[in-house]
Amino acid sequence: MITLKIDNKLVQIEKGESVLKAAEKLGIKIPTMCYLEKHENHPSCMLCLVKDSNTGKLFPSCAMPAQENMNIISYDEEIEIARQEALELLLSEHVGDCEAPCRPSCPAFMNIPKMNRLIANYQFDEAFKVVKEDIALPLILGYICPAPCEKACRRTQIDKAVSICQLKKFVALNNYSFENNYLINKKNKTGKKIAIIGSGPAGLAAAYYLLIEGHECDVYDKNPKIGGALEYEILENTLPRKALHEEIKIIKYYGANFILDYEIDKNRFENEIKPKYDAIILATGDLNNSKVKEFGFENTKNGIKIDKNTLSVNENGIFACGNIIRSRRMSINSVAQGKIAAFSASNFVLEKKIQKSKRTFNSKFGKLFESEFIYYQNESTNNFRENRLKTEDLTTNQAISEAKRCMHCDCRKSESCKLRIYSNDYSANQNRFSYVERKQISKDFSHEMIIFEAEKCIKCNLCIEICRKTGNKYGFTATQRGFQIEIKVPFSKQISSIIDATAQKCAKYCPTGAISIK
Amino acid sequence: MNENIINKIENVISVKGNKKNNAIPILQAIQQEFRYLPSEALEYVCENTEITPSDIFGISTFYSQFRHKPVGEHIIKICVGTACHVKGAERVYEAFKRELKITDKEDTDTRKLFTIEKVACLGCCTIAPVIQIDKTTYGHVETDNVNEIISDFLNAKNNPQIGRIKNFNKNISQGEIRVGLGSCCIASGSQDVKNEIDKTINRHKINVEIKQVGCVGICNQVPLLEVYKEGELPIFYSKIKPEEVNEIITKHFKPKNFFYKWRSNLYNFIEEKIIQDKPKSVSKYESDKRDTPITEFLDGQINIATEHRGEISPTDLNEYKRKGGLKALETCLKINNQDKIIEIIEKSGLKGRGGGGFPTFLKWKIVNQSISNEKYVICNGDEGDPGAFMDRMLLESYPFRIIEGMLIAAFSVGAKKGIFYIRAEYPLAVERINTAIKICKDAGYIGNNILNTSFSIDIEIFEGAGAFICGEETALIASIEGKRGYPSMRPPYPAEKGLWQKPTLINNVETLSLVPWIIKRGSLAFAKIGTQNSKGTKVFALAGKIKRGGLIEVPMGITIREIVEKIGGGIANDKKFKAVQIGGPSGGCIPAEMADLSIDYQSLNNIGAMMGSGGLIVLDEDDCMVDIAKYFLSFTQNESCGKCTFCRIGTTQMLEILKRITTGKGKMEDIEKLENLAHSIIKGSLCGLGKTAPNPVLSTLKYFKNEYIDHINGTCKTGKCTEMVSYFVTNQCIGCTKCAQICPTNAIEHKPYELHVINNSLCVKCDACRKICPVNSIIIK
Repeated sequence: MITLKIDNKLVQIEKGESVLKAAEKLGIKIPTMCYLEKHENHPSCMLCLVKDSNTGKLFPSCAMPAQENMNIISYDEEIEIARQEALELLLSEHVGDCEAPCRPSCPAFMNIPKMNRLIANYQFDEAFKVVKEDIALPLILGYICPAPCEKACRRTQIDKAVSICQLKKFVALNNYSFENNYLINKKNKTGKKIAIIGSGPAGLAAAYYLLIEGHECDVYDKNPKIGGALEYEILENTLPRKALHEEIKIIKYYGANFILDYEIDKNRFENEIKPKYDAIILATGDLNNSKVKEFGFENTKNGIKIDKNTLSVNENGIFACGNIIRSRRMSINSVAQGKIAAFSASNFVLEKKIQKSKRTFNSKFGKLFESEFIYYQNESTNNFRENRLKTEDLTTNQAISEAKRCMHCDCRKSESCKLRIYSNDYSANQNRFSYVERKQISKDFSHEMIIFEAEKCIKCNLCIEICRKTGNKYGFTATQRGFQIEIKVPFSKQISSIIDATAQKCAKYCPTGAISIK
Repeated sequence: MNENIINKIENVISVKGNKKNNAIPILQAIQQEFRYLPSEALEYVCENTEITPSDIFGISTFYSQFRHKPVGEHIIKICVGTACHVKGAERVYEAFKRELKITDKEDTDTRKLFTIEKVACLGCCTIAPVIQIDKTTYGHVETDNVNEIISDFLNAKNNPQIGRIKNFNKNISQGEIRVGLGSCCIASGSQDVKNEIDKTINRHKINVEIKQVGCVGICNQVPLLEVYKEGELPIFYSKIKPEEVNEIITKHFKPKNFFYKWRSNLYNFIEEKIIQDKPKSVSKYESDKRDTPITEFLDGQINIATEHRGEISPTDLNEYKRKGGLKALETCLKINNQDKIIEIIEKSGLKGRGGGGFPTFLKWKIVNQSISNEKYVICNGDEGDPGAFMDRMLLESYPFRIIEGMLIAAFSVGAKKGIFYIRAEYPLAVERINTAIKICKDAGYIGNNILNTSFSIDIEIFEGAGAFICGEETALIASIEGKRGYPSMRPPYPAEKGLWQKPTLINNVETLSLVPWIIKRGSLAFAKIGTQNSKGTKVFALAGKIKRGGLIEVPMGITIREIVEKIGGGIANDKKFKAVQIGGPSGGCIPAEMADLSIDYQSLNNIGAMMGSGGLIVLDEDDCMVDIAKYFLSFTQNESCGKCTFCRIGTTQMLEILKRITTGKGKMEDIEKLENLAHSIIKGSLCGLGKTAPNPVLSTLKYFKNEYIDHINGTCKTGKCTEMVSYFVTNQCIGCTKCAQICPTNAIEHKPYELHVINNSLCVKCDACRKICPVNSIIIK
């Protein structure tokens, strides 16, 4: 047995075991990507660097055998910077998108490719749930959203964007056409009461998410009808009121209490609203046309001043969303903010930390080269686009065929990719080392079970080791050396020559989206 | 696949073996057979050996020796080692490509006659720039003589030279003529000189021994001929040409026919005349005269690793023994106490000469103390630094000394197996060691019960396949085991777990070659030489912008100035001394102002350089330091094995920043980025290659930051960064048209007696016009 210290804690471990193992024994987590027990490819990624406090030198803990009297520091600023740089170097040659470009361009960050795949697979209800996770008013937005997502769609480079907005409207219409269309369950009642001032898109969206979370919700509006700008500013032929009423019906179903024809001035706010509620959300629209201006909150030249992450105004428990922050923005922004304000308020009343709703790290590479179209088109099961009007509602067949045009630009491992998880944890900046021209993307679909995307590979050689250990004759191998290394199968063979079980194992342990299950 | 090919491969497998670790020798043999690796041949190997397709694919693409495409009839290797680089190797490469009309994406001309490739270092640094076509080496190549070289090569090919003429009966020798036949000597024509000597003494029936000696070290004066007569002082003739041989030989030795009767004053008179009328290129120096370039070069040197330099024939075991060879081995076997031998090494203060400077005795001690029934000794001859050729010269010239060193090491640590790991680019070294091993086996110095003791050993050679990283111990071991040359984490050190997981002693060529001397003369004699922390001598390959380049062995602690000014004779062509680059790609640049720095392990580390293996390149005012940094970094970037993130991607990113700076696209913040990234690579890399790769950049940033700033501001003062400069003709032009004639791209219009003009859109910046202009009217701006 060997005794060593890690972060000043003593630990004993068998001779020959690594420092990483010793740290594990102490419950100290060290990030790793290339490491897999009993495999010999590591160290490669160098993410598991730790420091020998005697020499001040860094070394990869996965490969360093534990030695008597070692004194290891598992984490400090220098280590953090080194790990961050290792990630940034890997990201500099990582040509891949975590999220499809459409998603981050949607202000509500709706998981568009997932919706598309569910529609293409006849799972309309599942698709609807995906939409509702981020967009409270999909039918309304189906009519009025300017669809920035479609401008980002990779299909625009090849032919025309996937009609995302129409697909979203399709799933909403499909859902609302059923008798019992309330698919999303409310959480248990919290007993907390929240006021929303304003029943426009932002207010309605906030109400929806608060209700789902189990809070009680009163929505005030100065007008006699619900909907704010949706009711009073947008023309009927742009937004049929029937659609608006459908959405309101659902929000009412979940328990919203609307108090109409009730304008709130400073006096009412202080005496009637504030004492009655656990939290308040301001969603009155343009600050200049609103009495909120007199409430005494701090303002900017555009609107009410808020904390960008939590949407909290400069008073505890009061949040703002929609055009009150900045006027004349797209309604999708208001809907998106409604959700954020709702979650901040919810956390506030539950006395949880008001989380900064920071987006997870997202690797992106920009536009496709023309030579890469083919690989993306191969991801799509339908490359035919029918001509039709944008305003036309899609039939079921049309919707399926349109959804099939989606090219799966999002990564299959967007949730499990270690490179993404650690890049997020270490706040890595993908563009820090952007001197080398990006490599050309390729995707190998020849295998029945897996897809191989070489440009997402971090050259950790784990798949090679897995193939070697499982005795795959034509398994993965590394060719060339240094920066030129490419992972390939020998001779002119295709990856289909790798036996299924090995291929699945490779996909499972590949730390990035380079090898994934189809 | 036809039967003939199958038979050939079968034969290769039966000779080399069918195990996984035979992969590299098998690939080498196949390539020798077919000149490239046909994919069918490789598949056949996989079907008939334990080597899998994944193995063979991975290995054959890792090592740069292997080709996967058919090649032209002849291969032109352009050396891009450091010495060649500073003398314009890149331009030479471009010139060959232009001459042969090879496009950027290709490496072979359309007639499939020539394949062109860059090679790391041919080790002929003193006659840079060097190129090699098949086995013919050409030195001092210029952009404007590539045409002549190609035709010379083709002519020589069509008129094969007459084979060697046998020596005349040696019974009563009148003396000895020594001619160096190291790689650079041969490259500068010493084989032709040797042939001419053979012819001459045959013709005149002179009874003289012609002795082929190893590298003489005075590479700047080669081909060098030394005439040695009993009772007389040896006389050197330098830079000799074959047509001059006759005169010299007949001057010294009595011919048996015509000249036999002519031994008079008259003869002597004529002889003087002959010598004085000799072409300027030949110089004659008597060895006792002071202040001749030869004595200056040899003065201040101490020959330990290079003992008997220029005197002994590399593969003559009897001569080696006559001069005290193998005495050290005998002594060790007599002492018969491993701890005592290791103690001698310890007291001598010997440190590893491969670069790291790890105490040699400590390695020996650890291996000796490791308990195992199998242990190995490896001689690391994978000398890969561009601009270094010490190990090559030692292997070529003193094979017995290194074998003796290895035998002593093996005896001291209890190893029964020795391996010479020699890089592929050194065929002559492989040949000499091979011969020497055979001779030793026959003489009973290798094998069982050596000198009737219980000591037994087998020694073999493993040829590297072209990967700088394999100079790193763990990567070297991986390659012997038949894998890609990836280094692994140390600890465990090879001394504990090395080749096949057994204790393995790995020592550099030079280290082993010092061992016999230490045993013979005692540790104190060795420890007396050098400084407090660096004992003994160090062999350096002195090259670059120096008057007298060559191989030198100097005491540790000597100053840079002594080497450059005294031994090297100062800077060539009256240029200003700017810096020395020491330690190759892991080392750094030391500015001229620091020339009084003493060279030892510690002092070099202190200033951000490194002893490295011993490359010493002298730079003058015409050298651009940013270009030098970029040169070394592109070398390490290209040689990075790619295993760890910092080295694989980090060096690439640094190189890209340097490329931006040297093409005028740099920004001020790039300097800081470069520095930060350099420090991260040093911290985070797995092995020595990565940990030292940023040194050339950091040391130039430290001492020559202003040059980086100049580049970012848009100027490369030396004109080396061709993308930042243009060529112009000044008013001094006399209209001689020489530039127009030599221009390879017709960028200068032929206008006799008029001011010439360079069309910069056609100019390829080959520098030929500037060199040929008789009135220096072509300038770089």
